[in-house]
Amino acid sequence: MPKIIFINADGATREVVASTGQSVMEAALAAGVSGIVAECNGAAACATCHCYFDSNAGCTGEIGEHENEMLGFTASERTADSRLSCQVRVVAEMEGMTIRVPSVQ
Amino acid sequence: MSAVPVVADISYDALLDDPYPIFRRVRDTAPAVFVAAANLTLVTRFDDIMKIERDPATYSSDNPASLVNKVMGPTFMRKDGAEHAVGRKAIEPSFRPGTIKEHWAPKFAEICERLLNSVIKAGEADLFPALAAPMASLSLMEMIGFKEMPWETLALWSQSLIDGAGNYSRDAEIERKAMAAGAGIDAAIEAVLDHHREHPNPSILSSMVRADPPMPIEEIRANIKVIIGGGLNEPRDAILTLTLGLLANPAQKHSVLAKPELWPTAFEEAVRWISPIGMYPRRVTREADLSGVTLPEGLQIGLCVGAANRDDRRFADPDQFDIFRPRQSHLAFGAGAHFCAGTWVSRQTVGRIVVPMLFERLANLRLRDDAPPVLRGWVFRGPVSLPVRWDA
Ligand code: HEM
Ligand code: FES
Repeated sequence: MPKIIFINADGATREVVASTGQSVMEAALAAGVSGIVAECNGAAACATCHCYFDSNAGCTGEIGEHENEMLGFTASERTADSRLSCQVRVVAEMEGMTIRVPSVQ
Repeated sequence: MSAVPVVADISYDALLDDPYPIFRRVRDTAPAVFVAAANLTLVTRFDDIMKIERDPATYSSDNPASLVNKVMGPTFMRKDGAEHAVGRKAIEPSFRPGTIKEHWAPKFAEICERLLNSVIKAGEADLFPALAAPMASLSLMEMIGFKEMPWETLALWSQSLIDGAGNYSRDAEIERKAMAAGAGIDAAIEAVLDHHREHPNPSILSSMVRADPPMPIEEIRANIKVIIGGGLNEPRDAILTLTLGLLANPAQKHSVLAKPELWPTAFEEAVRWISPIGMYPRRVTREADLSGVTLPEGLQIGLCVGAANRDDRRFADPDQFDIFRPRQSHLAFGAGAHFCAGTWVSRQTVGRIVVPMLFERLANLRLRDDAPPVLRGWVFRGPVSLPVRWDA
């Protein structure tokens, strides 16, 4: 049950205790983190769960081919840190990790 | 908790003619209301539909008794969980944003160009038969990977399947037409399947035969029918609705034409304002409490996204077409696991290719005072006639 810190575009932070195995999107929605819309509820079809993860963290898993293409359609700028949070699994190594939520989805 | 209230004083024709005042009344009555004319319990509030779509265990897409299963066969669109995901994944490669941009967009631009060239000298047209219907049909034909056929053929198949899936009165002629469409589609698939097996390409049929594991033939047939029934009307209606919204609101039209980067926003507003799919079904698998109303196990419910997209709890002045309203997500493409697979291809085709090209090519495009547009439908809704003039 790692503790993850979400930071909104306006600087507001939110600590969430997440269950391993669920997606980061699910953990954020369950805790009511604002700024993540997740219209398709994890089908990797809407690109409204876009977040910025530290790309050097080493615990966020590989970007799949479909996710990679979908990231080209995010409403906020895609960077090297961009992921669809529904495609990233919560793992114990995420303890203390910060995830930035973009200003628009 | 209270029982589902009943509304019995609405006629089916009123619902077809203009569902929005009825949606408003139902929305203000209760979270779920049995509407006798529709013979269905309707859910109309934005937040309730969102809640339902995040709980597929209670609100299933699977319904063994539905006519969709009878008319089209076993399709992933009416399955849940893993069974749904396998079918959805199989078609994914054809719908990827990159494939859309590089492969489909240039082809669709060419079709649109050709259609506009064939009417431009006339100076007037009804945009339904002249542009929107052939555009939607010919582009879907390409995406599926069919041999070329007249656009009217695919459009007729599509309408016959839709009518068959809604044929609750078991009308024999409607049933016959739906079966004939089904047979035509099976033959059209048969005619190209070997080609797609031997020559991998971005089409939907090619994705299906190359999926791992390959999709069984009876599922290919059923899923292609669902895609024909559910992938033609909506872009057609979205083309006409976006055009109508802009023509009826000249100030907004001028803004978009001056600032082309507004096109995507205008498209989203059009499908919020008049959602091409106004309602889709779900089945309650266990007794549930929906915002204080008790839904019994086995109840069929209709999620009225057309009503939710005009919910004044979420959208200010919801009946207005207003591309400048605060940016907020809508439900025109559904939500949850069944979120429309065609979302990105429609955004690209309707919002970036067809309607911009229409306004660019047809100078001084305008509505006709003597022939106003006609809109119809509540399960599917859009202009059925959009007469316009331009300077030829
Ligand atoms: C403006 C255009 C469109 C709109 C508004 C729209 C709307 C929708 C909606 C509301 C659903 C959810 C239905 C449900 O959950 O029962 C859906 C599903 C679907 N749509 Fe679309 N659609 C559009 C265009 C297209 C196109 C062009 C295609 C195909 C070429 C397509 C293919 C599909 C498929 C395959 C599904 C089923 C997805 C699943 O069950 O996983 N759509 N669409
Ligand atoms: S929730 Fe839709 S892409 Fe992640």
